[in-house]
Order: sequence, then structure tokens, then C-alpha cells
Amino acid sequence: MLLGEFEYLMLTAAARLGDEAYGAAIRQEIEDATGTSCSIGALYTTLDRLEGKGLIKTWMGDPTPERGGRPKRMVRVTPKGVDAATSFYNAVRRVSRGVAWAKS
Amino acid sequence: MTRIAWTLADLATQLLEPQERDVVRGDLAECGATGWRALREVLGLVIRRQSMLWTEWQPWFALIAIVLPIGVMLSHAARWWADVYSLEALIYWRLWNLSYLDYPGWRHNIELLAWSATMSGAALAGWSWTSGYVLASVARHTRWIAIGLFALMVFLGTLGTGTVARASAGAFAGHFLGVVLPRLVRFLLVLLPALSGMYCARRGTLSRSMLATGAIALIALTLFAGSFLELSMTLGRGVYPSGAVIGPDKTAGTADDQRPLWPMSIVMLWPTAAILSSTLWRRGPASSSRW
Repeated sequence: MLLGEFEYLMLTAAARLGDEAYGAAIRQEIEDATGTSCSIGALYTTLDRLEGKGLIKTWMGDPTPERGGRPKRMVRVTPKGVDAATSFYNAVRRVSRGVAWAKS
Repeated sequence: MTRIAWTLADLATQLLEPQERDVVRGDLAECGATGWRALREVLGLVIRRQSMLWTEWQPWFALIAIVLPIGVMLSHAARWWADVYSLEALIYWRLWNLSYLDYPGWRHNIELLAWSATMSGAALAGWSWTSGYVLASVARHTRWIAIGLFALMVFLGTLGTGTVARASAGAFAGHFLGVVLPRLVRFLLVLLPALSGMYCARRGTLSRSMLATGAIALIALTLFAGSFLELSMTLGRGVYPSGAVIGPDKTAGTADDQRPLWPMSIVMLWPTAAILSSTLWRRGPASSSRW
């Protein structure tokens, strides 16, 4: 299954965060890594799409005081999601061989 | 200004599902978003969510089958009701004399007028209620946009048209009878019942027998008040066709008017028929009667 680049970024951010992966944290991770802003609209519609494809599983987490007592949408990458992200990463590596920006 | 932006952002989150609403509010609180940024973020999500919903058939069906045809018909019917009965009331008000009640003919006339105003007003409210109910059932997720468009149709559906009463009575030159009263009637007899129907559909508190009884009563009411609906459309200036075959008496909407006017009642009654069929043929609680 071929992913979109934003889908790959989200899967990677969620995998890196592990048990602490939830909407706002994934968004922050993507913004830190790419240096561009990630809107809530793009975040949650992409999460829905990934969940629809069976690449992630989401559930409502516990409310926390810093969120005004509101819950988080927790995220976990499924084995199918790991496979899809691995395939995407390998494809990018293969297609990038020999190009100027991939030498470093 | 920031407070206003937060209020608007909070209002916009109402268009999201309850769970997502809480999550988004939590995210915005956690990242310390300013009011305007929060508003931009929420609107972005709402627009994405709504545009995804409109890729399905239900919102378009609701738009084409209820919002456009029934919204315009209710708009004409409500203005017709306001114009006709306000004119009758005005005449009685100006010429009122208690001695009229001594004459059986006058009494009968007043009773007939009150009866006809009540029945046609009840039919108007009933058609609006069933429209709101089916709108919320068919287009559950886009119901607020659908009801917004429905309200636009109801309030603007008669733009550029008039009624025979308006063309012949100077009373409608006044602001109250000409502008305020028709809008008030549209709000009270159309929009409020439609919102109430939407609310009942969402809550699912009405039993099957109540829905079925109401639907049958509305069909009976429509048989009585159907001509009122036809008159409201045919005698509007904008829809009165020149050279049309309107019978030997040359009057539109009377018994010899050969134009097919009856389908309007059928269109108006389809939400009622849908409610009736869902109560008769579906199993489970009434709250699950969604299309």
C-alpha cells in the first residue's frame, strides 16, 4: 500500500512517540521535524483516513488538567501500518540512490 | 476581540461530533492557541469534515427533495396565510360591531374564518415539522447547514413575487402587515416547527404510534388545507402564467382551473409519507428510524 507523504509523516511521528502518541503531540512532532505548521483539520482527517485503512488504531484517552479536563485522541500504529511505513521508507531510499541531495 | 474569536471558535466546534469537539478543544488549550488561531483551526477542520460529508448522497437528496421544493412552497404558503388572514382580521377590526354576532350569517362567517385559519396554520406547522424531522433523519451530519439553507429558502423564497391580496389592498404598504407579519409567521409557523422536528428526530423520543398518528392526522389536514397551498402558489404574481388555461371563470386556483396543482400537496406530504412508512415497516425503537 503506497502512502502519501503526510500519512508517512504521521505514522512515523506516532511510532516515535509510542505510548505518548496522541493528536496534539503528533502535530507538534511533525511541526518540529518539518518546520511547517500542521493544521488540526489536516491532522484529524488524515488520522481518520489512516484508521480507515487499518494502519493505526485510535481511542479516547484520559482527560488531563493542561487540556482543561478534556480527553486526548490516542494513537497506536498497527502492524499493517508498520509494514506500510517500512515500504514507503524503502521506496524513498531506493528511488533516492545517486541523487545529489541523498549523498549526505 | 480575542474573547469574540473564542466564542466563535466554540460555536464552530458545535458542527463537530461531540467526541471530536472535546478533543479539539483540549488540543487548542494544550497548545495555548490564541482566539483567532483557534477559530482558524476549528473552521479548517469543520470545512474539511463538511466537504467530506457532502461527497455522500444523503445531503444532496435532502437539499433537492426537501430544502429547495418544500422550502419555497412553505415560504409562499406562510406569506399567503399571513396576508389573507391579516387582511380578514383587519376588515373585522375596522368594521367590528358586537351586533354582528346577532346575525347567524355573520357568526358563521367568523367561525368559518377562524376554523380555516386554524386548520391551514396547523397544516403549515405540520408540514414544517415533518420536513425538519426527515431533514435531520436523512442528512444527520449536515443538518445544521441543511436547516440554514431551508431557512434561507423560507425567508427568501417569495422574493420578486406578490399575492392577489397585496396587489389589491393598500394595507400591505404598511411595514407591519407588508414585511414584519409575514416574517413572523414564517418564523413561528415554519422555522420553529422545523427546528422542533429536527430536535425530535435527533432525540428519538417520540413513539412509533405517536409518529404514525401525527402523520395520518397531517394527511387528513392536507386534504382539507391542500387548496390553500395551491392558492398560495398560483396567486403569487411571479408564478401567475399569462395566457394559462385557468377555466371559464378566468380565476386561478378555482375548481375549473385545469392546471395540475394537486402534485404540490404530494410533494409537501412526502416527508409525512416517509415518516409513516418508517414507523410501519421498520423494527426496533423509533430513535433508530434513520434513513
